[in-house]
Amino acid sequence: MSKIGQAISEIQSLETISKEDRRVNRIHPLSKLILTVFYIAVTVSFHKYDLPGLIGMAVYPAAVFMIADLSFREALRRLRVVLPLVMVMGILNPFFDRKIVLMVGALPVSGGVLSMLTLMIKAVLTVLAGYLFIATTPIEEICRALRIIHIPKTFVVVVLLIYRYITVLLSEARRITQAYQLRAPGQKGVHYKVWGSLVGQMLLRSMDRANDIYDSMQLRGFDGDLRTGEKKALTPLDFLWPLLWGAVIVLLRIFPVVELLGGLFV
Amino acid sequence: MSHIHIDVENLNFSYENGTPVLKNLSFRASENDSVGIIGANGAGKSTFLKLLVGLNLNFTGSIRIEEIPLEKKTLAKIREKIGYVFQDSDSQLFMTTVGEDVAFAPRNYGLPEEEVEKRVQEALEKVHITHLRDKSIFKLSGGEKKLASLATILSMTPDMILLDEPSVALDPKNRRNLIHVLNEFEHLKLIASHDLDFIWDTCNRVVLVNHGEIIADGSPEEILRDGELLDANGLEKPLSLTGR
Ligand SMILES: Nc1ncnc2c1ncn2[C@@H]1O[C@H](COP(=O)(O)OP(=O)(O)O)[C@@H](O)[C@H]1O
Ligand SMILES: [Mg+2]
Repeated sequence: MSKIGQAISEIQSLETISKEDRRVNRIHPLSKLILTVFYIAVTVSFHKYDLPGLIGMAVYPAAVFMIADLSFREALRRLRVVLPLVMVMGILNPFFDRKIVLMVGALPVSGGVLSMLTLMIKAVLTVLAGYLFIATTPIEEICRALRIIHIPKTFVVVVLLIYRYITVLLSEARRITQAYQLRAPGQKGVHYKVWGSLVGQMLLRSMDRANDIYDSMQLRGFDGDLRTGEKKALTPLDFLWPLLWGAVIVLLRIFPVVELLGGLFV
Repeated sequence: MSHIHIDVENLNFSYENGTPVLKNLSFRASENDSVGIIGANGAGKSTFLKLLVGLNLNFTGSIRIEEIPLEKKTLAKIREKIGYVFQDSDSQLFMTTVGEDVAFAPRNYGLPEEEVEKRVQEALEKVHITHLRDKSIFKLSGGEKKLASLATILSMTPDMILLDEPSVALDPKNRRNLIHVLNEFEHLKLIASHDLDFIWDTCNRVVLVNHGEIIADGSPEEILRDGELLDANGLEKPLSLTGR
């Protein structure tokens, strides 16, 4: 499969998982959104040398991966582009902060190394939490949650359209590169001289397409507000889920749980 | 006398570049018509249909839909009465599942959720795809997409439907399927196509367009059997009528 085809099928498979009928998927999107934001905020708030504390925070993604029966390996594969990017953030820290703050056996660990590690872990945990939210919540539901917390409807509709537009753009890109490859057999990739015209083509076509889609929405009474029916009654899980996790997260933040647990075994 | 549903008078239209695309076109269609709009590529068929649903208001002349003049302030009202099926289903469908997409219009019209549910069910039944309700749009075949597109329109319970090249890219089975579904829809239909066999199977009236003008308007018998007329306008006699 071409790279573009791969990208499309990945977006689509993520969409499929988010729609599967699992318990976690059924929880109210707003509960999950609030929980995710809270988790991210707390994760980011850990001190830059607090490695054990952060390791404890991995409990949440680990548990949700299990409860929701999502494949961790799949997640890593999907995030293979994003993860390295967010992880390089702390890469220079070891050069700036050389003070030794910890001894692991005979190995001295500088503040820079430690803060690089915590930053990397923070980044990974944050991305994973976001991934879990998206993988368990269909886009319409995410938009609904945004609407409930009074994010302006124009903004929410734009989010939805961009999401749709990405697939549209990728499909056009696939069509055009396929047409190109058929007429330029044996050529590896796309010759740089035609990049400009291919990209131009792609933008024009996808603009036409986006225009049609917008027309199609309008012809069916779209007035700028996205209505997604399902106003199911709230279930206890809608409250319990964020509350329980909220409590766990607070505990992990306040008490050095990992160190305490470690203490039990030594 | 049945009701006049579409009443177009002296319609003139050109895109931004200024070349006239529709020239002084007058056309009427009533309740039970099933009109095939035929013509070679570029004749102006699609443009005509798009104008009827108000996708472009820069025309001169008049368009009246069930007595209501088409203009900016009547758009919403008129669009409730007309369903428009895009040539390319990928332009039509944009929600994630078939059911969601079919529910889109009734929800926009503010119907209560039980009514929406009913409309969705009925629309899916009409095109015989109830089993596809929870299927993702991107997993549908071309034929399924076309039927789903039609369902997204039928859930608005329109008084008339316009279809642009509905038979393009359908295999024979899906094509028969679509013909069957269309023939079950009893209201006014306008079908733009250069697939004359398809028109022969679905329409009781044919309007031939060339260079934005109506060249002929009559029964399928009259027009589709007239090889000379079709030939002069860049079309070919339907295979089913060539006597092979
Ligand atoms: N968006 C557009 N902008 C400019 N010209 C257009 C546009 N769409 C169609 N046309 C032109 O209008 C004429 C009629 O096109 P169209 O209505 O699509 O014909 P048909 O559907 O019969 O093939 C053609 O000459 C076409 O090039
Ligand atoms: Mg056309």
